[in-house]
Amino acid sequence: MSRRFPVVMENWCMRLAPPAATLFIPAAILAIFFWVPTDAGLGLSQRIFYFHVPCAMASFASYALAGVTGIAYLRSSTSDWDHASNAAVGTGMLFGSLVLLTGSIWARTAWGTWWTWDARLTTFLVLWLVFASYSMLRALGRGNDMTPRYAAVLAIVGALNIPLVMVATKLWRTIHPQVIGNPKGGIEDPRMLATLGIGVVAILSLCVWFWALRSRLLRTEERLAVLEVARS
Amino acid sequence: MSAIIWKDLLSELRSRDTFMSLFVLGVLVLVIFQFTLNLSPAETRRLAPGMLWTAIVFSSSLAIGRTLVSEREAGCLGALVIAPIDRGSIFIAKLIVNLVLLSLFELTLLPVFALMTDVSIFAVLPRLAAVMLAGTIGLSAVGTLFALAAAGTRSRETMLPLIALPLEIPLLIAAVQATEAVLVGTKLSGLGAWGNLLFAFDALFLAVGWLAFEFVAVE
Repeated sequence: MSRRFPVVMENWCMRLAPPAATLFIPAAILAIFFWVPTDAGLGLSQRIFYFHVPCAMASFASYALAGVTGIAYLRSSTSDWDHASNAAVGTGMLFGSLVLLTGSIWARTAWGTWWTWDARLTTFLVLWLVFASYSMLRALGRGNDMTPRYAAVLAIVGALNIPLVMVATKLWRTIHPQVIGNPKGGIEDPRMLATLGIGVVAILSLCVWFWALRSRLLRTEERLAVLEVARS
Repeated sequence: MSAIIWKDLLSELRSRDTFMSLFVLGVLVLVIFQFTLNLSPAETRRLAPGMLWTAIVFSSSLAIGRTLVSEREAGCLGALVIAPIDRGSIFIAKLIVNLVLLSLFELTLLPVFALMTDVSIFAVLPRLAAVMLAGTIGLSAVGTLFALAAAGTRSRETMLPLIALPLEIPLLIAAVQATEAVLVGTKLSGLGAWGNLLFAFDALFLAVGWLAFEFVAVE
C-alpha cells in the first residue's frame, strides 16, 4: 500500500462527500418530516429512528476505521495514518454522542426514562467511554512524540474490546428494539425503508466529509509546526 | 526476563511503597462502601463481590503504573529497550511483577473483606483464588500495557485509570459474576459464559500487550 494512501483517500472523500451530503441531507429531512408514514405503535417519536440509526452506523464505522488506521500507523510510522486514526475518533465521538443524545430523547417518550442499564445502551456507553479516554490521552499527551503510538494501541484495543463488551452485556438483558435484520422489526413499509436508506447515506457522507476535513486539518497543523521550527 | 522480575520484586519488597498504598486504598474503599451506602448485613453479603472488585480495581489502577514509571524516572527504560531481549519479554516481565504485587495485595485484603462483609471464604478458597487470579491477570495486562502511555502525559496519575477503567469493564462484569457464583458454591466448571469471558479477556490482552509493546516501548 502506498505511503500516501491516506492522503489519496482523503482527497477522494473531499471530492465525493460534500455533494452527496448537500443532496441527501435536505432529502432526508423532507422524507423524515413530510413523506414517511407515522409509526402505528410508537407515533411521532419513532421518526428520531431515521436519525439515530444512521448516527450509530457512522460512529461504529468511525471507531472501526480508527482501529484499522491505528494498525496501519504502527506498521508504517507514517503520520498521515495517525491523522486518519485521530480524525476517525473525532467523528466517532461526534456521532456517538448524537446516538446517546437521540437515544435518550426517544427512551424518555417510549420507556419513560432517560437511561436504563440495558445491554445495547451499556455496550455503546462503554465504547464511547473508551474513545473518550482516547481523546483525553491525545489532549494531555500533546507534545510527547510517543503519544500517537500509545493512541494507536488504545484505538486498536478499544475496537477489539467491543466484542467482549457485547458478550458481557448481552448476558445481562436487553429491551432495546431489534429492528435491523429482524423480519418483524416494524419497518415493513417500503417508504420507511427508503427513508432509512436516505438517512444512512446522508449521515455517512456527512461523517466522511467531517473525517476528511479533520484529517486534513491535523496534517496541515503538523506541517505548520514543522515550518515554524524551520523558520526559527 | 527473570532478571527484570527479580530486580523489580526485590526493590518493591524493600520499599513496600506500592504494596502499602494498595492495601490501605483497598481497605478504604471497602470502608467507604459501608459508610456511603449504609448497608444492612444482608445487603452487604449480596453486594460483597462487587465491593471486592471495586476495591481491587481502583487500588490497582492507581498503583499499577509504578513499576514502569519508576523505571522511566530512573532513566532505565532506554537501557532496558536497547538490551538484546525481545520487548514482548519486557511486557511479560513487568506484567508478572504487577501480578505478584496485586496477588499479594488481594491475599491481605481477602481476610479484611471476609471480616467486614461476613462472607465465609474458607470453604471455597481454591476456586475463589482461581477466579481472582484470572481477573488479576487481565487487570495487570491492561495496566502494564498503558502505564507507559499514561506516564507520557501531563497528568500521569489520573491518566492511567482514565484509559484502563473503560477497557476493564467487561473483565469486571465477568469477574464479579464469577466471584458471586463461586461464593455460593458453584464449581469452576459451572461458571459457563462468565469463565469463558474472563479467559477470553486475559488471552486478548496478553496477546495484544505482547505484540504492541514492540511499538510502544521505544525511547
